[in-house]
Amino acid sequence: MASKAQQRPLALQIVLLITLVVWMAAAAFPFFWTLWGSFKVEADFFSLADWTNALTGRMTSMETGEAFTAQGYYGAWIQEEFWRATLNSVLVCLFVVTISLTLGTLGGYALARSTYRYAFWFLLIALIFRAMPPITLVSGYLPVFFEWNVWGYLPTAIIVLVAINQPFTLWMLHSFFKNIPQDLDESAMVDGCTRFQAFRHVIIPVMWPGVITTGLFSFLLAYNDFAVTAMILDKQNQTMVPKIASFLGTTQTKGNVMFAVAAVVSTTAPLFLLIMFFQRQIVSGLTAGAVKG
Amino acid sequence: MAEIQLRNVNKRWGNFVGVDNFNLTIADKEFLVLLGPSGCGKTTTMRMIAGLEDITEGEIAIDGRVVNDLDPKDRDVAMVFQSYALYPNMNVYENIRFPLKVRGVDASTHDERVRRASAMVELDDFLHRKPAELSGGQRQRVALARAIVREPNVFLMDEPLSNLDAKLRVSTRAQIKNLSHELAVTTIYVTHDQIEAMTLADRVVVMEKGVVQQVGSPTEIYDRPANAFVASFIGNPAMNLIDGEITDGIFETRNTHISGLGHADGKVTLGFRAEDAALAPEGDGQITAPIYTLELLGDATMISVRIGQSLVAVKTDKSFRAEIGDPVSIHVPPDICHLFSTETGQRIEG
Repeated sequence: MASKAQQRPLALQIVLLITLVVWMAAAAFPFFWTLWGSFKVEADFFSLADWTNALTGRMTSMETGEAFTAQGYYGAWIQEEFWRATLNSVLVCLFVVTISLTLGTLGGYALARSTYRYAFWFLLIALIFRAMPPITLVSGYLPVFFEWNVWGYLPTAIIVLVAINQPFTLWMLHSFFKNIPQDLDESAMVDGCTRFQAFRHVIIPVMWPGVITTGLFSFLLAYNDFAVTAMILDKQNQTMVPKIASFLGTTQTKGNVMFAVAAVVSTTAPLFLLIMFFQRQIVSGLTAGAVKG
Repeated sequence: MAEIQLRNVNKRWGNFVGVDNFNLTIADKEFLVLLGPSGCGKTTTMRMIAGLEDITEGEIAIDGRVVNDLDPKDRDVAMVFQSYALYPNMNVYENIRFPLKVRGVDASTHDERVRRASAMVELDDFLHRKPAELSGGQRQRVALARAIVREPNVFLMDEPLSNLDAKLRVSTRAQIKNLSHELAVTTIYVTHDQIEAMTLADRVVVMEKGVVQQVGSPTEIYDRPANAFVASFIGNPAMNLIDGEITDGIFETRNTHISGLGHADGKVTLGFRAEDAALAPEGDGQITAPIYTLELLGDATMISVRIGQSLVAVKTDKSFRAEIGDPVSIHVPPDICHLFSTETGQRIEG
């Protein structure tokens, strides 16, 4: 039971509530606007005459006979084969996350338990690479990839994304491992584990929140990447984000903006589900490792 | 059966000497305590025996087998860590069972062994709890149970009581003593607390700055400290040490005049224990000085006086009362005195 002292004054409660509602609306509005508009035709959503057309869907009714249309989605997914880009994105994300986490947990653990000073310099150099804009790395890679004839393929993009992501995963996991007392490994080793068994049976179970948080950030990096995937993948192998960009068209080709809008909604929706599903681990991971460490 | 031998064991980090030339044979079923101030190398010595720390030089043998290059898991030791190092994701039962599981001990015996170990430390009612839901003392007992469940050859305990509050420390100390008597396994116990060492040990190794100062039974190190460091470390209060000079068998320094010491002339450090000395009628004692402080201990009263740089304590009757600054006379017969070389600190046999 809340005592009187703990109760906030009514005025404060109202102000808090209003602030929260306004903030929520401001944050969610662009997404809902896009979601709503993705079921209209271009003449409505990008109406020059009257912006309320985007809400009422006047042109959509005139063109298709209904207030909502799935034309954008049909065009993007079927006509322009956005499903292929989705599949590519899934593959890229899956491999980037798996490889980054495997190397990151092993490397982060080794660096966290290392007694040598080079571990520090190693991490510092990794940080410098992380701080560089990815595009500077990509421009360096390109001539080599052309030379070796590996440009345009998914594995190439995966390797580059892992390389860009690895310093971050190493740092993050290193700080998580640092927070796990060394006594735990040693106790496991005296109890009968090899170093690797101690890592697998004792350290990793304690580390789950950290691994999931880091995995999620790796996933987001791969999922949201534009610079690397746009430069390295050919049209066939494009992932979702560069594909959306290509829908918008270039100075030479006319794109279809509504395909882009529908694709944007298709790309964003899974992220909501993902964050909601993992929110507990993410919060505990962030507070356990990143904040304290 | 487990006899542990340490032969010329050294541990160095660069120029820093952690443990210097440690030689000792620990008998089967012996309870050995490594005692010393923090940073004296006692924990390092234990970690070398456990296999958690490389040995820079020398050999460690368990049961005649040199274990220098063996992994911790292959040495058949069990260790209780100062932080307990319980596995936070497992409940008490799984924590205790863990060593059996990873060593592939016949699974049908697990339940019985876990229950026996947990009964020994009175944890039966907590088996389903996670470590986070336990008190400090209970966690400590889980760590003990996890160590004894496997019935190893050697127990290693690294300051297992130092995270407990004072009252719990006394009862857990008694429990460890009883447990070690029942299990009769070679035990090495690291502590900086000389009372733990005195109460638990068959033999005590006093260390300082990586060097063994004295090895002996608690009585030996208490009654015949090998040097001034051991004298000043063992006992509560520690032995009184006074710097002075002997001329013709008479030890003399400010306010102090002790005759009848059969030792050659020269500078020495004289030591005696607070409980061996007594108050004397005024002017009749060997030390006469004003009271510096007076402490009521309940069972006795402790009086301290200042001699030069050192405080000299004397235990006296619990009903004794006086004011700070009052002169007292202390009776210090020569037969309770220990002499140490002022230069080297080594004991001088009288």
